[in-house]
Amino acid sequence: MSPSREPKHPFATRITRGRVQESIMFGFLRGMTFFVLFCAAFLFWDILSKGASKVFEGDGMLNWEFLTEHPQTLHVIGEGKDEIKLSSSNYFKLKDEKILVKWEEFRQSDEHDQARRGLDKVINLLEREWGDDSLAQSNEDFLNRECDNAANKFSFWKEMLVDVNNTAIDFEMKPEDVPSMVSQFILGHFEMERGRFSLVEEKITLFRAMQYPKIESISLKNAEQIEDAYKLFLSVVPEVYNKSIKLFGREVRSSYDEFMQVEGPKEFGRFAEAIVAYSNVRESFWGKDYESENWESLQASLTPFKRAMNVSLPSRDYAYSGGGIFPAIVGTLLLVIGAMAIAIVLGVFCAIFLAEYGKSGKFLSLVRLAILNLAGVPSIIFGLFGFGLFVIFLDWNVSLLAGWFTLAFMVLPIVITASEEALRSIPQGFRESSLALGATKWTMIKTSVLPFAMPGILTSSILGVARAAGETAPIMFTAAYAKRSELPWEGLEHWTDFFFQGVMALPYHIYVVSAKIPQNAYTADMQYGTAFVFLLLVVGVASLSIILRNRLRRKYRW
Amino acid sequence: MQEALKATSENSQSLMDSKNNAPSIRIKELDFLYGNNQVIHDVSLDIFPKEVMAFIGPSGCGKSTLLRCLNRMNDLVDGARIGKGSIEIHGVNLHHKSVDVIELRKKVGMVFQKSNPFPKSIYQNVAYGLQIQGIKSKQVVDGKVEESLRKAALWEEVKDRLNENAYGLSGGQQQRLCIARTLAVEPEIILMDEPCSALDPVATGRVEELILELKNEYTIVVVTHNMQQAGRISDRTAFFYLGKLIECDQTKKIFLNPNKQQTEDYISGKFG
Ligand SMILES: Nc1ncnc2c1ncn2[C@@H]1O[C@H](COP(=O)(O)OP(=O)(O)OP(=O)(O)O)[C@@H](O)[C@H]1O
Ligand SMILES: [Mg+2]
Repeated sequence: MSPSREPKHPFATRITRGRVQESIMFGFLRGMTFFVLFCAAFLFWDILSKGASKVFEGDGMLNWEFLTEHPQTLHVIGEGKDEIKLSSSNYFKLKDEKILVKWEEFRQSDEHDQARRGLDKVINLLEREWGDDSLAQSNEDFLNRECDNAANKFSFWKEMLVDVNNTAIDFEMKPEDVPSMVSQFILGHFEMERGRFSLVEEKITLFRAMQYPKIESISLKNAEQIEDAYKLFLSVVPEVYNKSIKLFGREVRSSYDEFMQVEGPKEFGRFAEAIVAYSNVRESFWGKDYESENWESLQASLTPFKRAMNVSLPSRDYAYSGGGIFPAIVGTLLLVIGAMAIAIVLGVFCAIFLAEYGKSGKFLSLVRLAILNLAGVPSIIFGLFGFGLFVIFLDWNVSLLAGWFTLAFMVLPIVITASEEALRSIPQGFRESSLALGATKWTMIKTSVLPFAMPGILTSSILGVARAAGETAPIMFTAAYAKRSELPWEGLEHWTDFFFQGVMALPYHIYVVSAKIPQNAYTADMQYGTAFVFLLLVVGVASLSIILRNRLRRKYRW
Repeated sequence: MQEALKATSENSQSLMDSKNNAPSIRIKELDFLYGNNQVIHDVSLDIFPKEVMAFIGPSGCGKSTLLRCLNRMNDLVDGARIGKGSIEIHGVNLHHKSVDVIELRKKVGMVFQKSNPFPKSIYQNVAYGLQIQGIKSKQVVDGKVEESLRKAALWEEVKDRLNENAYGLSGGQQQRLCIARTLAVEPEIILMDEPCSALDPVATGRVEELILELKNEYTIVVVTHNMQQAGRISDRTAFFYLGKLIECDQTKKIFLNPNKQQTEDYISGKFG
């Protein structure tokens, strides 16, 4: 307040506190918003761009295989620029083709003629022996004894194997190393038991026989799986035996040429391997016998054929990184549809009760409180709840049904709240006029409230369910398999089985390929590809619900 | 002059009629409460068959409440209840346990202030009351729809667009559609709560004409804030103030020569 100076007019001051604060706040708020925008854009850009390279291959064509096939092991052949990526099925197709080529070459060569003549000679020899009924009988006896024997041994192995498995876990071995350790163990055990060092090699053959085509897909991870493998092996032995009879016995496939005509080279290759394994097993249990000489010459004469079959196609293998995600897409769709149906039915009826019948009171506020709290329960808790109630207590196992109910319960709060709101937004006038025309309360709800509330109910519910379907936690224990080779509609004995089967699901698949298997560039591809498809699916469901709403809105506008 | 005379004689004729007939609705010493808030105090009123009764009075005086008592629409409101007295239609106490509300509401139809057709087709709107009764025969429903729309003087305007959404109609047409919808369930009594308050003068005129026509068949109770309207359409008028029935008499009498000072003040616009 100096009287000497005239006070400046407030407008004349260029910078006031208000203006500074204003511009700081403006910058701050805008920065925050841009940050959010940036994060969202980055998320979409990252997933869409990286995923696109999997879903659309280099030349911009849709990678159809990725959408329509089962997940498979990826086989990578070659290095750098010449690298070829093949899914298991294609890899084995290629291998078969190579075998055929090599086989043709072999057939053209002199070696083939020679080998064939040798084989035919042995076959004739064996045919004479095996054609004899009494010998056939003794062969069958042998087979039975062998199976018993093996079964006995197996129960002993099994106990041991549990130890091995535990040891493997204790030593933090990688799962893929366990089978080889197990086979080492079995071999060592045989060695000890028989006290015959020379048998080791034959047991290796035996173990290879366990990887006979039927069982090649099984990785020997634990005692139960070994047991399955061994049972399969036991079933393979009679098969070999039967083939032998077919080849050498009364059925007239009495020469190599004939066999080739009927069964083809691939079958012959398998047969050759099996017969070798069989003769080895035979010898190991029986010791050398009067037939051994013939078996030995049979083996010897098979060797050239085996060599011709033996094509090596070296590859680096990456689990889960080849093939596609079709079963996961199907599973996710099934989960979404089922959960949606259950949630909407349960939720809408609850909401009708709350909005139309409920008088305000203690009970209602209790229900509201419960719903509110339910909405805040973490999804993993829902998963555990579903696991405890549906999977264990109701004994539904890991199944679609359990997943549906778990997901449905998870979205129930959203559905109820949304439905209640939709119901309340219907003008009171519709209710009153309906009642005034002589409708009962339920008729009134059914004819002049629910239909008009449906657009709102459906959109919010579908959006809610679509969101929940993206959760891994609730389905992890209740519905999802890491890998399943049948599609849900395949191999059902009874139609109800449909509901009691687990399925693959996209979110869980993403989890498996990102957390459960060794990581590399190829698995990353798989992750992004799956995420891409999943994102599109969710966006698709959401837009579907919006389209649905708009159509219904147009129908019922007021 | 002659016409005026004729009108008067007609009026007295209808009065004679109503005197001869037993009342259609008889309200006896009615108290009505929302929770603890009493909104109707000791109202007694008779309404005779085939007359138009108008309820007038300042806002909040309980006209709508009384009207809604007549078909028990107030059942919807939590805590709404009768304190004392009764309402009888043809001698039956409406609030007796044995009364079927659904049947009652079919006999006593209601048209609301805000026209609120269902967001369905015109046809479906009129057929609604029949369909919820379970009448399936298309012939019967079709006939009834046409009849009701004709009675509501709407048929000519909508007969070519029966399947279009009712919200494509103008406000006045919508209100007449609501009347047609009510007529379709064959009521005896029609309650109207400010049916013209949302309409322009032309549409109002149409609805008023309609009411005068419907009078020949139905007993009509109209709530209105428009004095001229009450004068034009009603035979008798009841004036309410603060939940009490101040005066009920021939419309002419109320407007030209009311007994009570309050009525005169209200009609001449001194308050309300
Ligand atoms: N649903 C309700 N619950 C509680 N009180 C109500 C309810 N409806 C009306 N009231 C009260 O009852 C009284 C009478 O209301 P009512 O609607 O009958 O008046 P009205 O004469 O129709 O007025 P208006 O001319 O404005 O329509 C008012 O004081 C109002 O606050
Ligand atoms: Mg009112």
